[in-house]
Amino acid sequence: MLNKIWASLIIIGISFAFAQDVYDEVYNTHNNGIPVQFELLTSDTSHQQLTLTTNTYKLNATFKQNNKIQIHLSPESPKKFLQISAANNQKNNLIADIISRDNTSISLLLPEIHWEKLREVTQAAFDTAKFAVKLALGLIGIMALWLGLMQIIEKSGLINYLVKFVQPFLSWLFPNIPKNHPALASISMNMTANILGLGNAATPLGIKAMQQLQKLNHNKDSASDEMCMFLALNTSSVQLLPPVTLIALMGTQVSELIVPIILATSCSTLVAITVAKLFAAQRRKKRESCNN
Amino acid sequence: MQQLTSLIIPLLILLIITHGLIKHIAVYEEFVEGAKEGFNIAVNIIPYLVAMLFAIAIFRASGAMDLILNTIKPLADQIGFPVEVISMGIIRPLTGSGSVGVLAELISTYGEDSMIVKMAAVMFGSTETTLYVLAVYFGAIKIKKTGYALQAGLAADLAGFIAAIGITYWYFS
Repeated sequence: MLNKIWASLIIIGISFAFAQDVYDEVYNTHNNGIPVQFELLTSDTSHQQLTLTTNTYKLNATFKQNNKIQIHLSPESPKKFLQISAANNQKNNLIADIISRDNTSISLLLPEIHWEKLREVTQAAFDTAKFAVKLALGLIGIMALWLGLMQIIEKSGLINYLVKFVQPFLSWLFPNIPKNHPALASISMNMTANILGLGNAATPLGIKAMQQLQKLNHNKDSASDEMCMFLALNTSSVQLLPPVTLIALMGTQVSELIVPIILATSCSTLVAITVAKLFAAQRRKKRESCNN
Repeated sequence: MQQLTSLIIPLLILLIITHGLIKHIAVYEEFVEGAKEGFNIAVNIIPYLVAMLFAIAIFRASGAMDLILNTIKPLADQIGFPVEVISMGIIRPLTGSGSVGVLAELISTYGEDSMIVKMAAVMFGSTETTLYVLAVYFGAIKIKKTGYALQAGLAADLAGFIAAIGITYWYFS
């Protein structure tokens, strides 16, 4: 299933971008080769500076040699101009040809753009690959902090109290974890962190739990029932407090959303548990029929 | 409740360290011993995260989602269902930053008080970035075959999505 979803994201993405670019080529939606008319607002001949304008925007530009003009862009400039400048690997400016000019107006031929969508898609792929590494490396510090604390908890035996306390609650969800196993403690700590909306602590503790589940796993290459259940619980995000990002976005409005969020998240958690349990039962049946 | 969360971590750290000292544990040495793993785990995650995020980025940059939404918009309009909420439902399991973007856009278009924004916010709060969590958790222990974890996670997302719409509608009207 993961393979299929992964592949379809890529295939849909690239095919769609390709189709859109073909459409743009056929109907020339980028208006390649069509001169654009601007009004001249100011034209300082001594410094070769000028301001171009249409009904909706203003652009600053400089005259260049060979009847060319350099338009200066800022991030607020119209999208079309930014696209052209990015497509020509130029930062914040673009060179256009002057077709004709008089005292009040100027007609320019902008550089052509082709296969713009595919270029954007490729750029996005490269940028995200870089970003993914940054994201993973950003985990190092917080991971190290929690793993260090977990090591102390294990050595000091504090973990045993926690395991005893949560065992009755978790043994139904994770029937294959042996009694008094430390994995139960990590799982419960991860879930507590999730419930309280402590994302920084939840991820390292969850990874710690996964490591302990991996030790119990017979087939190190594929996910055990316990891992699937644990992941499903994590993705359904059991929580009492709204995530920090939501508070930042919604402000005080968020307080009236707490009850609906708790109700909705309970639904998704129940479904996660049910689906994981059903799949586990199916797996068990298959294994039994293989053994017979 | 908000105050409780800012208290809990320092108190927990205090408890862990003092309990370690009482039990005569070399706390500093043990901490370093455990913390060593942090780097390896982060490095393990990299290939999984690159694979997942770049595929999602391609899908998002292509604008395919807008096409899907525009296709179902007439149908959704007929039953009076806000199609903007669906964009949240599609983007939420894929990317965290993307869904923040969608929510911010909905807020600036419709305002915090609108039903659409409330639905989207409840959806945001009650589900997780399933594909990211999957890549990070299974990447850390180098698991490639994810079993039925994705199915269960996506089922939970779908349930959260439907529940968010239904519950928000019921709660605010």
